[in-house]
Amino acid sequence: MVKEIWDKPAMQRAIVRITYEIIERYKGVEDLVLVGIKTRGGYLARRIGDRLEEIEKKIVPVGELDITSYRDDRRVDINQEKISNLEPENLNITNKHVVLVDDVLYTGRTIRAAMDALIATGRPKSIAVAVLVDRGHRELPIKADFVGKNIPTALSEQVAVNVEEIDGIDSIELIKLK
Amino acid sequence: MKRYLILEDGSIYEGEDFGADCESSGEVVFTTGMTGYQEAITDQSYADQILVFTNPLIGNYGITLADYESLEPQIKGVICHQVARHPDNWRMQTTLPKFLKQLKIPGLQGIDTRELVKKLRIHGTLKGRITDSKENAVSISQELKQRNITQGVINRVSTKNSYPVPGSKRNIVVVDFGIKHSILRELAERDCNCIVLPYTATAEEILNLNPDGVLLSNGPGNPEEMLMAAKMVQEVEKHVPLFGICMGHQVFALANGASTYKMKFGHRGFNHPVREIATGNIGFTSQNHGYAVDPKSINKGNLMITHVEVNDSTVEGLRHKKYPAFSVQFHPDATPGPHDEDSLFDDFMSMIDQRKEEERHA
Repeated sequence: MVKEIWDKPAMQRAIVRITYEIIERYKGVEDLVLVGIKTRGGYLARRIGDRLEEIEKKIVPVGELDITSYRDDRRVDINQEKISNLEPENLNITNKHVVLVDDVLYTGRTIRAAMDALIATGRPKSIAVAVLVDRGHRELPIKADFVGKNIPTALSEQVAVNVEEIDGIDSIELIKLK
Repeated sequence: MKRYLILEDGSIYEGEDFGADCESSGEVVFTTGMTGYQEAITDQSYADQILVFTNPLIGNYGITLADYESLEPQIKGVICHQVARHPDNWRMQTTLPKFLKQLKIPGLQGIDTRELVKKLRIHGTLKGRITDSKENAVSISQELKQRNITQGVINRVSTKNSYPVPGSKRNIVVVDFGIKHSILRELAERDCNCIVLPYTATAEEILNLNPDGVLLSNGPGNPEEMLMAAKMVQEVEKHVPLFGICMGHQVFALANGASTYKMKFGHRGFNHPVREIATGNIGFTSQNHGYAVDPKSINKGNLMITHVEVNDSTVEGLRHKKYPAFSVQFHPDATPGPHDEDSLFDDFMSMIDQRKEEERHA
């Protein structure tokens, strides 16, 4: 069973709100870098970046991070070489305030992996987490700094965030698995 | 019976009377809304003003108890081209002329409102007097020129005592500069427990109530008379999420070092396009303001402009860079007008919830 929780306007409002909160937290966009976690986090990071630029009239670097090789729940060979895929390659995160952007915060394992991947490429001044949905059920001591919406969920449910860029529609759905 | 509008520049408009049989003076302003005359007339932001409707026919759907925006409107007069003679609507309880009679507000119809509005657009807002005789026109217009009609107007429209609007969820303190009921309706819809305080409330009085959020309401007159309120905001914004609407927006701007100016003829009506800078989205908004925040006076270090008017680039929305506080010049509560921007109340709610969440973890 699929239930739409948020439509496009609601999702856009949340992104704008997160944008304002980022400015509020960092008192501007100085030394700020946005890093989206592939796939949907990348698009969300770019959207936040565009909005920051509109408001502050300054370009905020936006990167994308592929954390596949850092995951602890999917890796087959524990000794496999870890490749950090931070795009663009010349993105400097050392001494920057990095905001990791993802669609859903669940167990916290993705963010843990992303932090490892980030730190392998540089030493940020700080790392914060922005997510569109926090659905609870953490398995690691991780907390989001910027949250679009808290959605209390059961373990038997799934939260799907759709973004226009690849899904053709902006929406958040709650899927009940049987 | 004949009735006249005499303006401070000496011009005289001759028309027919309706509504109450009395004389009154006020700032002559115009609204471009095609409907919503009852909400406009009962809107306290029109206190001490004579309102000209650009729509040629008003009053055609009568007056409904549920659509009041305040109980004791302080508007000084209503001018239109024609009042409907046979209003008809299933919701109406009375007609516009009878309603104005009860409230002792004079009306004037049958003048060329197009010409009058053109004049107001060229000269800017003018003071005027609705009267039954034009004999003393010269002395009236001279007297109008010297009077400052709207001085201290908020003192007359703001509540004298605080009162609760009970709800069960978030605790909101509403500061009344001349509040429209629709703002309270929007808060009630979101189940807020509100306490409405007079505009003289101090920061200490507000913070002693331990609110989750503070809303600064709309209101009439010159924002620069509200220096005490601006001082209150300077203290409150440090502690509590804050949302300002219309006058509240201007007071918020003053509190953070910006200044305001009197616009030539203001924005009144509800077909004003506003662009949200972050997204480029355009929303149509209900507006009623004769003053605006001067964009040059805004300190970019602590405020950011979030919304601008599309036609003349007036500042329509601000947000604080350090505290959870924001404000809009237009009316997100609409009534009358489009509800394009009522989500701002939801933003205020999530701002409050976010804050509560942080306090719980801290």
